[in-house]
Order: sequence, then structure tokens, then C-alpha cells
Amino acid sequence: MNVVRSRRRLPYFFVAMAALLVALVVASPAMSQHKAQNLVIWSDHDRLAAVTKVANAWAATHGVSVQVVEKDFGSIRDSLSTVDPATAPDVVVGAHDWTGQLAASGLVLPLYPSKATLAQFPKYTLNAFSYGTAVKKLYGAPVAVENIGLIVNTKLAHVPKNFADLEAQALKFKNKKSGNLAIAVQQGANGDAYHMYPFFSGLCGYIFGTNKAGNLDPSDIGVANKKFLANAKLIDKWNKEGLINSAVDSGIAQNAFLKGQAAFWITGPWNSDTLKSSGLSFKVVQLPAISCQSVPFLGVQGFMITKFATQHGVESQARDLVGNYMMTPAAQLALAAANSRFPANTVAGKQVTDPVLAQFGKASVGGVPMPNIPQMNAVWADLGTAWVKSTKGAGATPARVAFLTASRNIADKIG
Amino acid sequence: MSTTAAPTPTPTQATFKPSYLARAIAAFSGWPGLVVKVAFLGVVNALAVWAATVLADQSNWPAFGVLVLFTLLIDLIYLVPRRPGLIPLKFIVPGTVFLIAFQIAPILYTVNVAFTNYSTGHIISKSGAITAIKENSLQPAQSGTTYAMAAARDKNGDLVLILQDSTSGKTYVGTKKGLTPIPRAAVTLKAGAITGATGYTLVPVKELAAIGQQLTDFHVPIGENAAIQPQGFDTAVPLQPTLRYDPERGVFVRISDGAVFRDNGLGSFVSSSKEELEPGWATHVGFRNFSRAIHDPLIRKPFLRVLIWTFVFAGSTVFLSFALGLFLAITLDKPGLRFQRGYRSIMVIPYAIPSFLSLLVWGGLLNDDFGVVNNLFHVHIPWLFDPWMAKVSVILVSTWLTVPYFFLVAMGALQAIPKELVEAAKVDGGGAFQIFRRVTLPLLLVATAPLLIASFAFNFNNFNNIYLLTGGGPATNDQPIAGATDILISYTYKLAFATGKGNDYALASSIAIVIFFIVATVSGLSFWRTKALESVR
Repeated sequence: MNVVRSRRRLPYFFVAMAALLVALVVASPAMSQHKAQNLVIWSDHDRLAAVTKVANAWAATHGVSVQVVEKDFGSIRDSLSTVDPATAPDVVVGAHDWTGQLAASGLVLPLYPSKATLAQFPKYTLNAFSYGTAVKKLYGAPVAVENIGLIVNTKLAHVPKNFADLEAQALKFKNKKSGNLAIAVQQGANGDAYHMYPFFSGLCGYIFGTNKAGNLDPSDIGVANKKFLANAKLIDKWNKEGLINSAVDSGIAQNAFLKGQAAFWITGPWNSDTLKSSGLSFKVVQLPAISCQSVPFLGVQGFMITKFATQHGVESQARDLVGNYMMTPAAQLALAAANSRFPANTVAGKQVTDPVLAQFGKASVGGVPMPNIPQMNAVWADLGTAWVKSTKGAGATPARVAFLTASRNIADKIG
Repeated sequence: MSTTAAPTPTPTQATFKPSYLARAIAAFSGWPGLVVKVAFLGVVNALAVWAATVLADQSNWPAFGVLVLFTLLIDLIYLVPRRPGLIPLKFIVPGTVFLIAFQIAPILYTVNVAFTNYSTGHIISKSGAITAIKENSLQPAQSGTTYAMAAARDKNGDLVLILQDSTSGKTYVGTKKGLTPIPRAAVTLKAGAITGATGYTLVPVKELAAIGQQLTDFHVPIGENAAIQPQGFDTAVPLQPTLRYDPERGVFVRISDGAVFRDNGLGSFVSSSKEELEPGWATHVGFRNFSRAIHDPLIRKPFLRVLIWTFVFAGSTVFLSFALGLFLAITLDKPGLRFQRGYRSIMVIPYAIPSFLSLLVWGGLLNDDFGVVNNLFHVHIPWLFDPWMAKVSVILVSTWLTVPYFFLVAMGALQAIPKELVEAAKVDGGGAFQIFRRVTLPLLLVATAPLLIASFAFNFNNFNNIYLLTGGGPATNDQPIAGATDILISYTYKLAFATGKGNDYALASSIAIVIFFIVATVSGLSFWRTKALESVR
């Protein structure tokens, strides 16, 4: 370490130059990458392979390139508000109930598919992706439809002819052995308004009414409407006889059905693989009507074009991919089958071969799309809580009181 | 207290042998150290160069300037030779950079957001909002007719659109001047798509992407305001605006009835009849969020109850965990206790398991009808469903999670109390409890008071323990948002993300600042008071 003094200056000069050189070498690929211009698509894990295949097929015919990025489905909606515009997606996969929030924030573009294309879709799928306080517009291309149904273990019970039949069978099975459940429907401490919706609609409840223009009207809350309140004492009856128990959560419900401790399970197509591999013989039907038809919530998934497509200069390409190519029957079949859902396109729907999916499709008839307006956020917690309180077992709140409270709380929150 | 300090040279040996650590550090002087320095500086400069290009792209010049300044400073500090004043800086800079990046910058950002209206419907900039409103105001034709489209070039090589009306089947050529009908026979169709037109050459499919931007901007005017606009590469739709933007006055005017929508200063265009255009934009709104936290009855009503419960929860968790941890540390401190190591290892297990997992498992164990706890003891205690039992459960589970931490802390602090003091107190005739109260405890508190305060502050904002176990519930009857076990931070989360209008980041930020002031005041007062304990010595 005895360096001659006169040579001390040189090393530091070299150090500075070397550092700068390393810097430029390392930074140059990063710099050039962010100038790349291809169509960026955000997809969730289940659909990644199908989206890549469909998008690449489209890209090949047009001589462009696409980049499909995998993202966690639940975080896509909120990420769009905070994403860096340079790396932002042009097309995203999404659930229809995000439409209101994304459109109200100006993050997605309206779509105008051709008349022939629109005719291939049921009206409710297009409505699910539509939003607008002044002018209602379509903001997404529907791809897959999902809904819950009543799974009946055909060895332990038979498909109920009506609700009274279901009640009798379920209670008989529950009383056979301790630890059996009557109907395995998940709630948990915080409730699950989505899974309880068939019961809710069967008792003639609804969330938001529609105004004259056909739009959801957040001022018309039907959680405690007259018809429903008149039927509410049925909930107290079910609670007393133990038909529904809010202590059951998703794990308990699934376990009970798969182990033969429950003959009836309420769940959706996301469990169709579990059901098929369980070896049980089962059938999927719609919950029998109670006072009104017991329709489930319909969830529609699809693809939307973000405002970043305009900023990136790829708007035409995005519109062709989403508004045209992804709405054709072949693409719809591939995209919906990727995560075991029923395709939205009716022509594609006729080509579905999976019997379980077809049964879920039948169970969706008359279903109600989940409201996609931002005000829906206020509803989930209160509606779920009302069910939990009224089906708690001993010490449950009378249903009439619970739902009136929920209705008032929702109205307070929406303001 | 270090045992690895430079060893004192033994008087009998003549040569001085440095420790391993000293030799390792010395190895970095000279060429190895220089290479490492060059590598690190290179990486730092590379990050700076890349970040600078991104910022320059976005024309964010203030951030660009700050970045360049800081990078130059870092380079100077590490490269300028022979200045002893810079040596301390060389050690401080890395920690300071990360402190600023991960603590100071987010805090400043949160403070900034708290004074805006950043929430669902107010995310983008004003110019983006104007563009989006213009786009949203376009209305398709009443008949729902669309046009099959093909981009083509005419004899002069200019871009035109070959169109076929989907309802009437009539064919047209669309230019920037308008529609010109052409005979149906001139256009060849295949499966509804236009594949050729006499007198025009269709743009090949592979070249369509290149003219994508031109197509987006290509409007074929029809009627007064309406225009046919391409949507992709083979469909075009007639669209008519329903709003007109007046740039001089900065307002939107509805074409049908002349209603005027003005900027209301809060990030939206609003008409005199309170109609609001969507989307709005993010803008500064001053103290509006803070006054909303004070005046809105939805927020104000449960605030006191939630605040009191937060103090109770944090205080009892810390007190119980400390008491139990100390008790266990003293009990297991006996020299010669069999399986001492085993007991200590078991005690630490709750601390070793990720709390995320254990909270979810506890939620299952405490389930009313199906949980292990109730089934094992054949009781039916509504652990998580009854408001008061839920509070007790939450405190119990939090204590279970925190006891190992205070057990370890107490074990270490107990070793530090000089044995002579305890023996002197015994000689003076003190009983076990008196010794503990007068000698052990004050000395213990001097050492652990900062940790108690820190644990209190941590539990004051312990979102996980509450949200994963009970979700803040069960729901209470007095108001819709705060549940029986909601603490301030989980209450804020529900306010911001679970009420009627989507995500309200600005409100959440403002309440987070209020919580910060509460915690800072409590911590500051505690630190000030516990200085008094130091005079015990």
C-alpha cells in the first residue's frame, strides 16, 4: 500500500471513467427496451396460455407482435390507476363489475363492435359491460359467463322437484348424523352475499332497481322491499331448523360435500375440476324457486381496452383484437374453456361439450348480472352481514330486523 | 459489549497480529476494493441514467433535476480524493438514500395525496378527462347500424374507406370530405367482409397495423356533427357527439339543450342542475378531506369508540405480552433447570410462524360451530361472532403472537441486571416480590421502555391482527362501517375502499396523517416521561 504520491491522481481518474463506462453499458439495454412498441395484454394465470395463443394467431395475420403479461386477477383493476404509462397495458382481462369504476375514472375506452357481432351475444352479457350516467356505452368484450348452482350428490339425494322437497331432503340428511350439514353454502364471519344471492332472489329481494332508461338506479334499493320482508320469516324458520348455518365457510362447505357430510353444495364452475376428480356422481341445477325464481348472480368476464392504447398509438389494433377477433366464436370457445367457464357468444355456447359446464349454463337462466356501478361496493358487506346475523343459529337476529338495518346502512353509505 | 474487538497484544509476543475481521477489511484496500467500488458506482449510475430517460420521456423536469443532482453528489462523495471530511459521508450515504426512498418519499407523497381528491372518478389529469368526456359523449346512430369497412387506396394513393351499411346493404366510399355511394356490383364481399372494390386497391392485411393511427384519426363526416369512425380494421360506426367543448370558456355545452358544465374546482364538470360529467380529474382540494373526517356523520359517529378501542387493544396487548413474557423469562431463568433449552425453543415458536398464517389458522380454530377449541372443550363460546367475545379473542391472539418477543427481550435484559444489586437487596432483608418491584423492575424498564413504546405504536396500527382474524367485525348495530373490533387503521381501510364510491385514496391518506399525529404524540410523551426513569441510577 505504499503508493508513490505522484501516481495517486491517476487511479481516481480511471475509477471515474470506468464507472461511467459500466453505467452506460448496463443502462443501454434498459433504455432501448422502453421504446419498443407492441400490444401489451394483461391476462390472469388461468387464461395465460389461451390468450397467448389467440393473440399470437391474430398478431400473425396482421404482422404485429403482442406481449402477454401475467398478473394477479384481483389486482388488475386497482393497478390501472397507478401503473406507469410507459409499461401500461393496452388490453386487460377483467370482471364485468369493474366496468363502472374503470369507466367512471376514464381508464377504459368504449367499444363499438359491428352489428353482426353484437347479435351473437345475449343482451345481459353486453349490459354487464355497459356503463354510463348520461350515455350508456359498452366498455368490454364479454368472453365467459359464470354463475353458482346447486350441486346435488345424486347418491345421497335426488334432484329436488321444488324447494319444499329440497328442505325436507336436506334436513333429513342433516339429522342422520351429527356433523352433517343440510345445505353447504359458505358464509363465514363476514358473510358472503354472492353465494347467498339465490336464496335472496328466491325470497323476492333485489339490489338496485332500474330506471326508465334501463340503467341501474342506486336510489332504488330493494334489499328490504315489501315482498322480501313478507317472506323474511322463512329465513327465521330455516335458521331454527338448521337449514343454513352462517358459521360454515368455504373450506368447511367444500370439505363437507366432498367427504359425504352434505348432500347439497352451492358453488360455481371454479370447483368443476375438484368435483370431477372427486369421483362423486353429481348434478348441477338451479336452486328451486321459493317465492320468486331463485336466480344466481351472473359474473361476466371479458377484455377491455385501456386509455393507454391511445397513448401508445395502438388503438386501432386493440380495437380489432378485442372488438372483432376476440368476439368470434372460435376465440370465445378457446378463451372460456381456459378456466372452465361458459362462453358468452351464443354460437360458441352451442359448441360446448363439457357436460358440467352445460349444466352450469342451464342453471344460469334468468340470472342477474352483478351490478357494475361503483355504489355496489357499499352493498357486499352489509348484505353479507344481514345473512350472517339472521342465520347464526341460537341468538340470531330476526331476519326482518337484520335486512332493514342493512338496507338503511347501504342507503347511508351511498349518500 | 463486543467480544470481537481488536485484541490487545499480549506483552510476551513481539509481533502484532490483527484479527480476522481487520484483515478482511484490509484485503479490500488496493485493487479488489477499487474494482468493487467501480462496480457499485457503475450500477448506481446505470440506474440513474435509465431513470433519467424515463423521467425525460414524461417531461417530469423537477424529478429529473433532483435525480441528476443526487447522482452527481453520490459520485463526488465516492470519487473525490483526499478529503477527510467526506469519509463519514461515505458510510452514511447508502442508508440515507434508502431512508429517503422508502420512508421520506412515501410520507411526502401521502401528505400530498391527502390534500387532493384522488379517488375513483378522479384519477387522471384534466386534459385526459376532457379527452375522455369527449369520447364518452359520442352516441352511435339510433338504428344501431354499423358499417363493414375496408381500408383502401384510390388512384392517387390516398387513403379511403370502402364501406357497406350493415342494415341497408348499400356501399359507399368514405373520404375526409364525406360519403360517396358506389354501385354494389363494384364491391366484392366474402362472408360479410369487403375483399375488393373496382378502382381501388385494398390495403393488405399485414400493412393495416402500420396505418393504425391514421385510421383512428380518419373521420368521414355525415350530417352536421356526426362522422363515421373506424373501429379497428373492418368495422366503422357512425358517431355523433352530444357535448361540445368550448376551449375559451373552458366549459362543456350539451348540444341538445345548451346546458353548460363548468369546472367546479373540485375536479369535475358540473351543470347548474348538479349533473356531473364522468370522468373527473385529480386536483388539489385543500383541507376538504380533513374537514370531511371531522364533519361527516358517517365517519365521525364511531370515531371516538374506535379510537378508545384502539388504545385499549394496543395497551392491553403490550401490557399482557410484557407481563407474561417477563414472568416466563424469570421462571425459566433458574440455572440448572432441566430441558431449559427445550422450553425456550417452544416459547419462540409463535414468533417464528408467519403471523399471516397463524392468524388465519386461529380464525378457523375459534369458529363457533366447527372450530377445534369449542369442539375440544364441548363448549359453545361465540369467540368471533359476539362483539365482546371478539374483542377478547383479538387481544388473546395478539398476546399469543407477541409474548415470545417480550420473552426474548426480557431474557436478555435480565442478564444485564448486575447480580450484586439483587444480592445486596436480599442481604437488606427484601422479600422476592419486593426485590422484583424495587430493584429488578425499574432497571428492566429502563432497558425495555423504548421497546414497549415501539410495540405499542406497532399494535396501534396492527391491521393484520384485526383484519385477518375478524375482518373488523362482527358488525355493530349503531352504524354501517366500523365493526366491533375495528381499530383506526382497519376502519380507515373500510372507509376508503368499502363504501359507496369505489376507492378513496385521498380520504385514506388524510386519516392516516391524523393517526400519525396521534401515535407520534403518544410516543413522544412516553419517551419524554420515561426519561425520568433514567434518574433512578
